[in-house]
Amino acid sequence: MSVEDLPRKEVNVLKGHEGAVLAARFNADGNYCLSCGKDRTIRLWNPHRGIHIKTYKSHAREVRDVHVTPDNSKLCSCGGDRQVFYWDVATGRVIRKFRGHDGEVNGVKFNEYSSVVVSAGYDQSLRAWDCRSHSTEPIQIVDTFADSVMSVSLTKTEIIGGSVDGTVRTFDIRIGREISDNLGQPVNCVSMSNDGNCILAGCLDSSLRLLDRSTGELLQEYKGHTNKSYKLDCCLTNTDAHVTGGSEDGFIYFWDLVDASVVSRFRAHTSVVTSVSYHPKENCMVTSSVDGTVRVWRT
Amino acid sequence: MESDEDDFVFYGTPIEREDDLTSRKKKAIAEASGQLRTLPAWKQEVRDEEGRRRFHGAFTGGYSAGYYNTVGSKEGWAPQSFKSSRKNRAEVKEQNILNFLDEDEKAEMEGRLLGTTSQFDTFGFTAAEIARKQAEKEQKQRPSIIPGPAPDEIVVPATESVGVKLLLKMGWSRSRSIKDSHSDALYDARRQARRAFLAFSSDDPAVKITESELIKGDSENFPEQLVDDDQFSKSTPVFVLNPKEDLYGLGFDPYKHAPEFREKKRSRLSSKRGPGYSKNFSTRDRKAAPGFGIGALEELDAEDEDVYATGFEIEEAYVQEVEEPTTMSLENQRKKEQKNQGDLPGFRVASNSDYKMERFDSPLIPKDFVPHHKFSGPLEINCKSYEVTPPEVSPPEDGNLKLLIEGVANLVAKCGKLYEDLSREKNQTNPLFSFLSGGTGHDYYARKLWESQQKCNDQTSRQLDGKMPPSVQRLTAESRGQILGETPLEKSAQDPSSTIASTDIQLQFNLTDTFTKSTSFNELMDEEKPFKDDLAKQERFEQFLKEKYKGGLRTASSSLAGDMSEAARAQERLSFEAAAEAIEKGRQGRGSKSSILSSMDFIPGGVMQFTSSEVESKKDPLVEDILRKKMYPKREEFQWRPSPLLCKRFDLIDPYMGKPPPAPRIRSKMDSLIFTSDSVKVTKVDETVSSKKDISPFQQSANKDMTKSITENETEVDVEVENIERPVDLYKAIFSDDSDDEGEDPSIKRVVNQEKKAEVANTALSRLIAGDFLESLGKELGIEVPPDVPYPMQKSRNVASQKEIVNEDAKTDILKSENNGKIKSPLIRSQDYDSSSEEERSRKGTNREKSEEYKKVKTSGTRRRDYSSSSSLEEERSRKRSRHHRRKRHDAGSDSSSDDDRDRYSSRSKGRRTGSSREKSRGSEKHSKHHKHRKHESPSRSSRYINEKDSSHSKREKKRRE
Repeated sequence: MSVEDLPRKEVNVLKGHEGAVLAARFNADGNYCLSCGKDRTIRLWNPHRGIHIKTYKSHAREVRDVHVTPDNSKLCSCGGDRQVFYWDVATGRVIRKFRGHDGEVNGVKFNEYSSVVVSAGYDQSLRAWDCRSHSTEPIQIVDTFADSVMSVSLTKTEIIGGSVDGTVRTFDIRIGREISDNLGQPVNCVSMSNDGNCILAGCLDSSLRLLDRSTGELLQEYKGHTNKSYKLDCCLTNTDAHVTGGSEDGFIYFWDLVDASVVSRFRAHTSVVTSVSYHPKENCMVTSSVDGTVRVWRT
Repeated sequence: MESDEDDFVFYGTPIEREDDLTSRKKKAIAEASGQLRTLPAWKQEVRDEEGRRRFHGAFTGGYSAGYYNTVGSKEGWAPQSFKSSRKNRAEVKEQNILNFLDEDEKAEMEGRLLGTTSQFDTFGFTAAEIARKQAEKEQKQRPSIIPGPAPDEIVVPATESVGVKLLLKMGWSRSRSIKDSHSDALYDARRQARRAFLAFSSDDPAVKITESELIKGDSENFPEQLVDDDQFSKSTPVFVLNPKEDLYGLGFDPYKHAPEFREKKRSRLSSKRGPGYSKNFSTRDRKAAPGFGIGALEELDAEDEDVYATGFEIEEAYVQEVEEPTTMSLENQRKKEQKNQGDLPGFRVASNSDYKMERFDSPLIPKDFVPHHKFSGPLEINCKSYEVTPPEVSPPEDGNLKLLIEGVANLVAKCGKLYEDLSREKNQTNPLFSFLSGGTGHDYYARKLWESQQKCNDQTSRQLDGKMPPSVQRLTAESRGQILGETPLEKSAQDPSSTIASTDIQLQFNLTDTFTKSTSFNELMDEEKPFKDDLAKQERFEQFLKEKYKGGLRTASSSLAGDMSEAARAQERLSFEAAAEAIEKGRQGRGSKSSILSSMDFIPGGVMQFTSSEVESKKDPLVEDILRKKMYPKREEFQWRPSPLLCKRFDLIDPYMGKPPPAPRIRSKMDSLIFTSDSVKVTKVDETVSSKKDISPFQQSANKDMTKSITENETEVDVEVENIERPVDLYKAIFSDDSDDEGEDPSIKRVVNQEKKAEVANTALSRLIAGDFLESLGKELGIEVPPDVPYPMQKSRNVASQKEIVNEDAKTDILKSENNGKIKSPLIRSQDYDSSSEEERSRKGTNREKSEEYKKVKTSGTRRRDYSSSSSLEEERSRKRSRHHRRKRHDAGSDSSSDDDRDRYSSRSKGRRTGSSREKSRGSEKHSKHHKHRKHESPSRSSRYINEKDSSHSKREKKRRE
């Protein structure tokens, strides 16, 4: 994939959020996207046509993260109200509220079967919540982190959490091991490469780090952007050829995966780019920002 | 009752008092007629069952009053309850004297009430009052649909206050704010003129617009008009009622839930009306951040602050649009203010003013002026007055006088000539002080004064830094040394830090340890004292430093380290060299405090350690960065146990399936608070170890053993405390039916139980509560916990065959079943029962050979039996080689040392008490659990039972020993 194929042209601006948008996420097939923000709402969009579809209101404080099941039937969200909400997409109703975190919840993810929601909280814990039973107690609490857990990522067999204590911890359910990779810098965001071999960790020292999952080796560091005080997202493109991430000055950066050179950077927003999400198949990307907009980018 | 009455014999008839009888009769009649019942509540009298008036109170009461003994009014003395005036404003009335007058008093006052006549009703109050009264009266006469008094707002005073009248006469019209109408009179006039002009010039609207634009260009008049128009709406609100232009119902607000639309509509309207009209409707609070209020019950705290609101401005196009007119109007206002500030209407600012600021030039400084002030200090005066050294004079014979002279001289030298003059003045008549004014001893005084002045000068000479002419100085040893370039002796020359006693330094050093931020002063001392542990060495080190850096006279090194061998001295010198270098480094890079501290770490050691630390201190930031990169990412691996349900949900096989549940987590901090003794750690370790299952049960049995032994040694009270458990579980243990839980899946059960166990075992509070509960329960049931139970004794004696043991177990079962009816020390019993049933099952589950071994061991009658029996069980059950192996080793060791162990345990028993109690509670918990699925023979569970079995063994053992 060449640099020209990177999504750098703004095709849509999704306006509607009042105040900062904290996360924007494509759904599994990339036809829709979800955003959530300081206005305590979650919004469902069709980013390709720029249409606002639905607003989900119930959170009492800002919504920090949202995730949707692969079948688009359920949502999970979390935020400053210390709760994890489990939504029905169609009706917009909250099916379940998972209470238990002792602090704000920074991230949520569904597992492969959408049966478990794993949330990462400021209370230094990861919690797994059961969507199948009616229990609102967590199935499991992982509290080996030494500081706020900022981000969580799931594979079929593992739970990966990134924490301010500088560690990326992989909890392998299959073998019952916890693998802790200490990066020495607060980790904001963990995202998986599409081939599942690497973890991209966004650190607060203005760098992204690519880790080999099997060995824990540091493969590459991506620098150039600024990320010192906000939780910013980063991700790999769908071909795993580039790494992308936002910056606190409103820029979006693209790095070459292998040689870590900045292949492209452009001003996308007027303020901090909080979240980036890459389309699973096409060369398309949504970004969200503190300026209250979600923007859709294409080649 | 009837039989009771039969016992009494009545003579005669009881006499009733006349009045009582009559009154009662009357009452009865009244009651019968229903008169009393119809009376209002406050007129009814309280009576007892015999119809007598109830007498109220012993001393001051009297018969009970109406209104149920209150003061005779319905409300009584009850204080008026608070009524919020917020919701029902109209109801709040001012109190006046009429409120406190009775009806008849009011009637008396009727017509004689003072009030202002309408003629003098300056503020219209009376008129308003009258109007209100009128309205009330009218309302009474024709009741309307809306009940209640007419609201004050509707009732408008009929007359106007004198101020309004005056203003109206002065040309003020309603709805205009008073202030502006006056200050802007000029502009008002101008506007009038302009209007007239416009009307005159043309009727064509197009021309009008151009005209207005012209005026706008003028930039003075147009805004004024706008402002004025605004002030119409701004002033007295009564007249600015919005005319109802829509067709909605009265009070209906279509934009109630969508205020932004109202803004839109307004702006649309205003755009119709003309530009600039909407400026007052501009959304002022739009910019106030994305404000999402939080609920009334929530507190605004740190997490609510808008972290993103820094620096960046949120881009919102339409806000900008709306804001444009605002800024314009702001500008206009500013201009207007500018204009209004200076002048009064009808006045102009004078072009030339009479008032002139008088300015004074600064005085000319003479060219030869030197801006340096010389103080005519006392010292210098003294110096001058005694430039010629007074000759040595022998002191006067009188000792007192000599002392006096010396003292005065000293004082004068210190305090200056002023003191001399003062004391001379004061003591003019005193013959003793005649030396001051040339009397006896004056020469001596002069000499002494000079001497002491010299002394003073010497002391200050260093500070004055050569201000004193050197010729005047008397050469002291120090000054001579200074001249010669010698290093002064340690005491005086070293910086003040080193003169501080070493203890102080140590203290401060410790302080700096605790507070990582240290002042430079402390840091200096840290550096200076790398060998603080060894004072002699530190001294030598200081000496070394002095030699190295300061030069000067050197003492022979042998004086300090005389008793050291040559080799040792050489080594020390090396270490000193390194330390000095480290200190130097530390001084250069104050930032790297760690290096200094690290150099402190090796203190008592030799060269080797020192050099290593030196390497550390040499680290550059760059090197550190590289090192950091090398260090990170750092991978570690831990054991982690996913919960079975999680595995299920992830569709994975539980890697820990069939393995015992992990050690219970400590849930509350209370635990660690309460159990601070070392025993806690031991038990904790024990738990974790057992969870890993890498350890032979022997060790656990040993642990259990010792805890048990401790328990047995405790007094009865302690026993009670230790046998604490959740009350519910206790009840279950006593009363629960074994069969009710049979159908359940044991594995799930175990999980549940595990959780429960964790709760029970670890929640110290509940345990304490349960302890109290138990005590009370025991009291209620009338049972005392027997210090020793006959059953184990019996058992211990019964060391015969396996069959007998089985019988024994059967007995216990019987005993247990009896427990339901007759509770006898439930706790101890239950434990015994637990152990016994445990044995039974394990025996059943194992084969003959094992039991034989067991029996054999039992007959031996020693402590060893416990271990071997457990080991045999273990052998039977466990298939893991490693564990097996390990156990064997333990076994071998334990045989020889068991007695020793026992001694050790007993000696430590005090410290272990809490731990043992925990252990026990867990045990009893297990027991209750065990109860539920006793009938299940699952091999996986036996691993857990081993412990219990062991403990039971050991317990029995203990009993026997006692």
